[in-house]
Amino acid sequence: MKNLEASAFLKNDESMDATFEVPSEIRYIRKASERVLKGLVRRRLNASVLFDIRLCVEEAVRNAIVHGNGLDKRLPVKVTYGIDGKRFGITVEDKGRGFNYKRVPDPTKEKNIWRGGGRGVYLINYLMDRVEFNDKGNVIKMVKYI
Amino acid sequence: MKLKFENRGDVSVCYIEGEVDINTAPSIKKTFDKITREKSSKVAINFKDVSYVDSSGLATLVEILKNMRTYGGKLKLTNLSPKIKSLFEITKLDKLFDIVSQEEDAISSFA
Repeated sequence: MKNLEASAFLKNDESMDATFEVPSEIRYIRKASERVLKGLVRRRLNASVLFDIRLCVEEAVRNAIVHGNGLDKRLPVKVTYGIDGKRFGITVEDKGRGFNYKRVPDPTKEKNIWRGGGRGVYLINYLMDRVEFNDKGNVIKMVKYI
Repeated sequence: MKLKFENRGDVSVCYIEGEVDINTAPSIKKTFDKITREKSSKVAINFKDVSYVDSSGLATLVEILKNMRTYGGKLKLTNLSPKIKSLFEITKLDKLFDIVSQEEDAISSFA
């Protein structure tokens, strides 16, 4: 579906929605992706697609935990995901002040390639079919055709 | 994640088993800090038993490479699965790293 927002289609298929929250601790990154992937088991997706989904979920949750909530254990990261036909959608929301996602440096440029950060968002943009942030920059919505 | 080194001639081969991600990257970095302190000049990392790499893992590998280059050390990556190799290609890190299909070829290609 063209120009589909993750949140829009999640609302259209509420029976498939799942929402959970994790505290802002590094160890919950893996727990979040495991929970999402567990929800996809019945779909028998191929390993490559599962790898992409796991990676993008973990990168988004990591950014939310580390950069969004500043590793403050008291602040939750909210994850909502679902499948509608051939579309997998996921929203990750933190309690932070957000960031200017339009100004994330391109990590593939020569001047940035030796830098440590910036590859998470880049990989998400590459591996997901649709990626959107809210204006504030504390909610990322991702869609992948599966 | 398990990590061990074996000497193959004058090349130190690092075998990583498991995942190279935000959970394991600090431990990998710590181990390689020792390698760079000792100024090991020829190191290969064998990825045959690595099932997953994330951006933190990539960043750590970049840091290791950067550290090794400061003293002229050479680092090669071998036996990457197609999926993990694709992450290096997507992020253009395949231009930074010397990625070789097989460990034997990596060892023999050290000048």
